[in-house]
Amino acid sequence: MKAFRLLGWAGLVALLWLARGLLLPVFLAAAFAYLLSPAVAWADTLAIRRSVTVGVLFTLIVTVLVVAGFLLGPGLLAEGAALMDRLPGLARQIDQGLDAVVRELAESAPAVRRLLPEGGGWVQRFVLDRAPAEPADLFEHVGHLFLLVILIPFFAFFLLRDMHRLMAVAMDRLPPQHVETSVALWREINGVIGRYIRGLVMDGLVVGALAALGLWAARVPYPLLLGAFAGLANVVPFVGPLLSAAAAGLVVVLTPGQGLAGVGRVVVLFLAIKVLDDTVIQPFTIGRSVHLHPALLLGSVVVGNHALGVLGMIVAVPAATVLQESVRLLLEHRRALARRDLRHHPQRLVV
Amino acid sequence: MFEHPLPGWLSWATDPEQVRRAPFLSRSPLFAGLPRRLLGRLATRFFEKFYHAGDVIFEEGDPGRALFVVVEGSVEITRATAKGPVVLNTLGPGDAFGELALIDDFPRSATARQGTEGRLLILYKSDFDALMEGSARIAVVVMHNLARQLTIYARRTPVFPGAGPEPGAPL
Repeated sequence: MKAFRLLGWAGLVALLWLARGLLLPVFLAAAFAYLLSPAVAWADTLAIRRSVTVGVLFTLIVTVLVVAGFLLGPGLLAEGAALMDRLPGLARQIDQGLDAVVRELAESAPAVRRLLPEGGGWVQRFVLDRAPAEPADLFEHVGHLFLLVILIPFFAFFLLRDMHRLMAVAMDRLPPQHVETSVALWREINGVIGRYIRGLVMDGLVVGALAALGLWAARVPYPLLLGAFAGLANVVPFVGPLLSAAAAGLVVVLTPGQGLAGVGRVVVLFLAIKVLDDTVIQPFTIGRSVHLHPALLLGSVVVGNHALGVLGMIVAVPAATVLQESVRLLLEHRRALARRDLRHHPQRLVV
Repeated sequence: MFEHPLPGWLSWATDPEQVRRAPFLSRSPLFAGLPRRLLGRLATRFFEKFYHAGDVIFEEGDPGRALFVVVEGSVEITRATAKGPVVLNTLGPGDAFGELALIDDFPRSATARQGTEGRLLILYKSDFDALMEGSARIAVVVMHNLARQLTIYARRTPVFPGAGPEPGAPL
């Protein structure tokens, strides 16, 4: 019997290893499901079937996306196409500037030259390396994207519809003495992750909209594209806001007629957005879900980056919060059980 | 009779599980007086679990984190004494126990054991706190019901040192 159980676990691990390619779509689907879960919970209070609620929600989302696509799509596509046309020229300009700096550095301090990679045109090479060269590569990229677009709503639908059933099965299999602590753990974890994801998306939307409006007012080119990038990059703690400001600054530097005043405007704009985000927006969006010491927050982001790259940086903060809450609850449970044992066996107190 | 939450022509969209839960809660003295809308909101926060006869639901001294409502079967509330465990109360469908966990963080004052096999609804304290933050009506009604139960218990319990919970006392 034990051998069969071991074999079953080994089979499950092997299956998970084979299906590791699905990790990203499942992760994104879970995030999407958390985003929609308040609406599903509201419909639950009216005793509406989950399948009906989720079906109606998905229809609404598709409608909103189609309308948003009609309203914002042409502008975003035009900005994207214009940027793609200018990209090789922009990369050449940046490389010329970089080459000049490197030449100056090499003349004043020859030792520094050895530290830098050989050859020039780094940005051009970076841009060209990432562009799909062959039609086959292009099809592969589009195929991956298409698979994500199909798989994310597919998994999210079933997660939203069946998660409570899976929980009911898991609850029935739990030993009775662990039920209260398990329910407490699940509720805390679920609450932290849900609030964090919803807060993060809300925060990204507000920051993205503010950045787009500010850049448009400052007459910086591609405000929609840069605003969308600022909103997306905002999900990466610490590094994201810096990257979006750098991207906007770079566009200003390479746009004739903007000059240093334009760079100054962008710096002031992104600083103002960051201050507003830290003091006003985040306390309303993700502030209530994260209770980590700033040092632990920074440490978790660094560890997340080392372990999983950008994805690790995004999941680091909720993962650290969940770990902290779990340890707190389990220690509390252990202390309470120790107190109970002492009451039942007072002789254990004798030293 | 418990009112149906959706109009008749939408009965195909009704979740039978949620419809089944709310009447149990409306029957419980702890949630008596809550309107259907709030009972529906409360019902979604409960977990349901099957217990075999003899399963210990919680032991005296355990940390209390949840409230339980009996859906099926019976639950015995016992307390350890020098002469062995004494049955304080036997609960049936609609009865709630462990309600003091919703108020304080003290350990359980008695042991709850499943008498005959059945199902229990479990409400975690944080969920209840969140519900009370979102609806003052739930907080007022439940706290009023709980205070009434404690008053009944206090009136019939003589106060002397070392007294344990009396039959029917909140846990």
